[in-house]
Amino acid sequence: MSTGRYVRDLLGGRRPRRFRADAAQAAELRAAITLAAARPEAGEPRAEFVEDLHRRLSEQAQQSASASAPTPSAARAPVPIRLGPTRRRVLWAGSVAAGAAAIGATADHLISSHAEPEEQTEAAGQVPTLEPNVGTWQTVAETSDLDVGGVRRFDLGSVVGFVSRDAAGLRAVSGICTHQGCRLNLDPGNRELDCPCHNTSFAVDGTLVRHQLYTPPPPLPHLQVREQDGRIDIYVPV
Amino acid sequence: MDGNGDHSAEPRYPDWESVYRDNVTRVYRMLYGKVGNRADAEDLTAEVFVAALGPLRLDASAPEVRAYLFTTARTVLAGHWRRTLGLQVTVLDGADERWLVDAGPEPAPPSTAPQRTATILAALPEPHRRILQLRFLDACSLREAAAALGITVGYAKVLQHRALKRAAALGEAGA
Ligand code: FES
Repeated sequence: MSTGRYVRDLLGGRRPRRFRADAAQAAELRAAITLAAARPEAGEPRAEFVEDLHRRLSEQAQQSASASAPTPSAARAPVPIRLGPTRRRVLWAGSVAAGAAAIGATADHLISSHAEPEEQTEAAGQVPTLEPNVGTWQTVAETSDLDVGGVRRFDLGSVVGFVSRDAAGLRAVSGICTHQGCRLNLDPGNRELDCPCHNTSFAVDGTLVRHQLYTPPPPLPHLQVREQDGRIDIYVPV
Repeated sequence: MDGNGDHSAEPRYPDWESVYRDNVTRVYRMLYGKVGNRADAEDLTAEVFVAALGPLRLDASAPEVRAYLFTTARTVLAGHWRRTLGLQVTVLDGADERWLVDAGPEPAPPSTAPQRTATILAALPEPHRRILQLRFLDACSLREAAAALGITVGYAKVLQHRALKRAAALGEAGA
């Protein structure tokens, strides 16, 4: 009675063993699976599984990115993924660092944060600044484009964000939601950055305005910004 | 809410990380509903993402990305049944696709298994309903279920098998 063994494995939390089933057995197993899947705790992935798969996918991403490194200089680069200004249309490449900026993890050889992840949540009002180890200043706007009260989006390929000016001066924040990394939209009327994925909003200074998540997402990381010769520049990784 | 002029399209994912974070639970739950156990659900979920993330395009909208994940999951599940039991025990169909692709931002409840289960159980005669309830939903051992029903372990086993057969017939009729 192979269905019996299959169901025993199912109920015992073991991987069911394979056998050649006929149609009647398949119907029984289908019923058993439906019942097993209706358990209250069923269907919640283990956190370790989610993180482990994430790590495996990161490795795969890095491999495929270095395998397709387009130029000799990229091939020589000390980092596994080159963040050039040209955005690749393929999802894998160039995305690990952007994700790392959102999550504040993995690529710390590339982007270092002033605060440890624990401190980010602990120290109230303390917002980390993402500072690339190796970077360049890139112009995102003209001084005349940004009056007091203004906000502008910029997209430099490896870094997307928003630069704003108020009485206190200029400020730039990452444009990637700190929850799961969706790209934020600007609501200029409210000077807010809205996440389309889970209805989270940040102020243009990066602080959390509202959310509907179980735990509040961290504030948006700040980016280094400067103004000189009539231009507004952001410091981004090369 | 979008005031920056980017009205052109639906929400997009900035990178594979967000595709993964936003969908891993959805895909896992969907597959769990089709295999009923963690080990297989984990393996199949991993298979889906490993296969799907390579060819994904960054310029696809979030629903397009999910539709693509769904197609990959359907193929992966079909392959799983071919390898393990030799025939397609469960399939991902249009209802599952709608559930995955249209699901709001927070992951929806795990598939339709609870409703389907309630319907099946309600249609069974009392002892059959009780044994399945005890064994599957309350996670009782055979011994505990037998004790609760005041029957021998041997008979509980037989009863469970008959109940499943009957549930299967109901399930087929309802399918
Ligand atoms: S990704 Fe922004 S709220 Fe979830």
